[in-house]
Amino acid sequence: MSKVTKAKYTSEASFGFMHRTAMEEAARCLLCYDAPCSKGCPAGTDPAKFIRSIRFRNPKGAAETIRENNILGGTCARVCPTGDLCEEACSRCGIDRPIEIGKLQRYAVEQEKTFKMKILKAPAKKKAGKVACVGAGPASLACAAELAKTGYRVTVFEKEKKAGGMLTYGIAPGRLPQAVVDHDAAQVKSLGVKFEFGKKVGDDIDLTEMDFDAVFIGAGLWGGNLPDIPGNSLAGVYTAVDFLKNARTMKEAFKFGNKVVVVGGGDVAVDCAVTAKLLGADDVRIVYRRTLEEAPGNMSEFQYALSLGIGTTTNMAPAELLGESKLEYAVFNGRDGKSGMKISADAIVFATGQKAEDLSKIMPMALNEKGWIKADAAGKTSIEKVFAGGDAVNGGGTVVEAVRAGKDAAASIIAYLEKRGVKQDVN
Amino acid sequence: MSINKDLSIRYLGIDCENPFFLSSSPVGGNYEMVAKAYEAGWGGVFYKTVGVFVADECSPRFDQTSKEGLPWLGFKNMEQISDKPTEQNFENMMKLKRDYPDKVMAATIMGSSDEEWRALAKMCEQAGADLIEGNFSCPQMTSHAMGADVGTNPELVTAYSRAVTETTKIPFVAKMTPNITNMEIPAVAAIKGGAAGVSAINTVKSITNIDFENMAGMPVVDGKSSISGYSGAAVKPIALRFAAQLLQHEELKDVEISGIGGIETWRDAAEFLVLGCRNVQVTTAVMQYGYRIVEDMKSGMMHFMDERGYSKLEDFIGLALPNMIPAEGLNRDFQILPDFNVKKCIGCGRCYVSCYDGAHQAIDWDEKKRKPKLNDNCVGCHLCLNVCPVQGCITPGEVKWKEGRQKTGIKIKRNYD
Ligand SMILES: Cc1cc2nc3c(=O)[nH]c(=O)nc-3n(C[C@H](O)[C@H](O)[C@H](O)COP(=O)(O)OP(=O)(O)OC[C@H]3O[C@@H](n4cnc5c(N)ncnc54)[C@H](O)[C@@H]3O)c2cc1C
Ligand SMILES: Cc1cc2nc3c(=O)[nH]c(=O)nc-3n(C[C@H](O)[C@H](O)[C@H](O)COP(=O)(O)O)c2cc1C
Ligand code: SF4
Ligand code: SF4
Ligand code: SF4
Repeated sequence: MSKVTKAKYTSEASFGFMHRTAMEEAARCLLCYDAPCSKGCPAGTDPAKFIRSIRFRNPKGAAETIRENNILGGTCARVCPTGDLCEEACSRCGIDRPIEIGKLQRYAVEQEKTFKMKILKAPAKKKAGKVACVGAGPASLACAAELAKTGYRVTVFEKEKKAGGMLTYGIAPGRLPQAVVDHDAAQVKSLGVKFEFGKKVGDDIDLTEMDFDAVFIGAGLWGGNLPDIPGNSLAGVYTAVDFLKNARTMKEAFKFGNKVVVVGGGDVAVDCAVTAKLLGADDVRIVYRRTLEEAPGNMSEFQYALSLGIGTTTNMAPAELLGESKLEYAVFNGRDGKSGMKISADAIVFATGQKAEDLSKIMPMALNEKGWIKADAAGKTSIEKVFAGGDAVNGGGTVVEAVRAGKDAAASIIAYLEKRGVKQDVN
Repeated sequence: MSINKDLSIRYLGIDCENPFFLSSSPVGGNYEMVAKAYEAGWGGVFYKTVGVFVADECSPRFDQTSKEGLPWLGFKNMEQISDKPTEQNFENMMKLKRDYPDKVMAATIMGSSDEEWRALAKMCEQAGADLIEGNFSCPQMTSHAMGADVGTNPELVTAYSRAVTETTKIPFVAKMTPNITNMEIPAVAAIKGGAAGVSAINTVKSITNIDFENMAGMPVVDGKSSISGYSGAAVKPIALRFAAQLLQHEELKDVEISGIGGIETWRDAAEFLVLGCRNVQVTTAVMQYGYRIVEDMKSGMMHFMDERGYSKLEDFIGLALPNMIPAEGLNRDFQILPDFNVKKCIGCGRCYVSCYDGAHQAIDWDEKKRKPKLNDNCVGCHLCLNVCPVQGCITPGEVKWKEGRQKTGIKIKRNYD
């Protein structure tokens, strides 16, 4: 009989390192010259440097390297697709397997907490410029932190009650415990960044009427994506964003039934399926319209789902949802035009990509045909003082890409403000 | 065990089923332990040192050193000699000899006066010990009339050796301390006193680590610590050095030496044997891993013999001794340049960093391809070969003869594992 792992919704999916095991792993690192891993990180975290610090018994120095380069170092340690980034670049792949960089990073950031370190400091002397950041997701947090480190005064407006964006309302807590997100966000707050929660820019407040010298938009993609098929308004039909957000906010009190179908082939689909399973559904399956080879999700994530007893059916696309007022059956058509299936289900979750909400309500900058903000690599939009980055610009990427975008935009904002002459120091 | 080779050896006139013995320490401190060790396959045991003095031990009393996550590189202890009553220890030895007549029982003893050494020797005889070892080497005795303080005093070594050898015909082995510049001096002194053999080394005086919590050495005993004996893998190079120096000494050439210090594997043991030791002793590795390590010592040694066509230990004992020569005797006419196997190279750049920062800037680094390339500065030191993490990637290559030196046929080490 297969051994299916039983876990709780919030129990951690993997063990971290302790001092000794971290040391053992750091000893496997070849301490490369001009290390390839360090070039593999979009956010500029320097793995070779922090691993060397661990190896030479300086875990606090390791924590500093991470925090100084990546304000979401704790989060990234947990959720970065390291297999495609630093670990893929690791020289040790040529001998056996890469160094577990993500796990070492997790260990190093944990030292920050253990030793109650306060690594980042904002200058006592503030600059005159005031910047607003829309959203408290990774992109905005990274941008706000960079600006605050330089001395600018930053206010973050967030429609939800907590910071983190998809980290807090999306990604399954088994992979990313809330405490890790909170700790990362607290570092931003400690730099003097102001947070205004429960304020949806465009609805609750109008930034165009406020005197900010620059605005960064890191609003992400929060419009659900339901396919245009019959029955999509039945009860029991969810978008991934809503389903995950309900789960994160209500936890075990979120009742959605016992038989759950998740549609999609990305990590978000896996997170939804895992969430459903861990919250108690007996029968959870993922249905994807293409093959696993074509799926954008990480294989390790599918394997994790499988270990929890969640199977995946491929080459099946949703065609119709049946039920009186509540979902009863989901009908799928095969990609080959011949196959088909009808599954009895209490809930169906569509993890088929997020759409942008109407982002022009935030600021009237230009959007592309999909409704994403048009911005260049430096985060500049069609409006001079408005900058943007993260999912709202790239259409849905990774946390570390959002961090990178936030950092780059911060550099552009600083350049813009200095050029405009709002750089004189105030006390 | 599929392989079977004769590991037996005659050591100081005693037939031993194999050369692997426990050295005198807590690993052979009572009846049950020694019995278990015998059953596990050890050829003999140097029983935990017995004196008239019964030790009063501190707590805690051990520490270890580590590097890169690897624990037990070396081990420190602050134990003295047996903390059990003298009579009980000799009774244990007697019972062990009775119950395991084919195994070797060596009694290690330590006195603080002529009379004590004589009394202890007598008791060894009554217990039926095959060998007596005199502990002239424990570096952490609470009395200066015993242990390493005696072992560095040749007159006392001769006197106490004589006290034993005049009392009994049982062959006497003098156990030496490494905390001395010339071990040959006390070793010769012991032979002068009638000793048949010498064993080395006991532990090296050390401070392993400093604890910042108490600002004291480790282990911390009520906020304090003492300099005391270091053993285990880290001391093997020191032990091998002393073994070679004893064995090469004119007056000790025919003395049978038992090698001790950092032995964990058959390979470590074989190293002592090829230098000329006829017996080896182990403690630290047993404390860390248990008696069972002897299984792989025996099996591994048999495979080694099989590979090289040896049928008995004598076939290879001492083979390496003549090849240990003074630095001034080495052939300095050539340089062996390293050969880089580009296919195996994983591009870590370690050779480049080490050659630049620690050798001769003889490697150029191709940043694009991430590959090393040798330039004319190379002196053949082989630092790069020693840091490269890939097996068989950097190997000894071209032999370059220095200007005006005569080319000759030279022996080269080719295989690194
Ligand atoms: C289920 C799931 C799993 C994922 N797993 C991973 C993973 O394992 N690894 C990985 O790297 N990435 C993962 N991602 C992607 C990652 O979460 C996103 O790429 C990242 O969070 C994008 O950051 P962001 O700041 O651009 O947007 P978001 O995280 O979406 O943050 C945007 C914030 O803006 C707020 N906001 C929106 N509109 C307004 C407004 N008008 N006014 C005020 N506030 C507003 C939102 O409430 C939100 O807090 C996952 C995403 C999901 C959904
Ligand atoms: C805990 C401990 C106690 C020891 N006690 C004795 C002892 O009583 N008498 C003795 O001659 N040597 C004693 N030794 C030294 C060992 O017998 C041996 O000479 C030394 O540890 C080196 O060998 P190793 O590296 O295999 O441990 C002791 C060593 C240790 C680690
Ligand atoms: S590439 Fe791999 S082996 Fe080299 S420094 Fe980075 S983590 Fe270590
Ligand atoms: S042998 Fe020595 S000098 Fe030559 S390349 Fe290697 S490290 Fe450099
Ligand atoms: S140390 Fe070895 S693997 Fe690393 S670059 Fe040099 S030759 Fe290549």
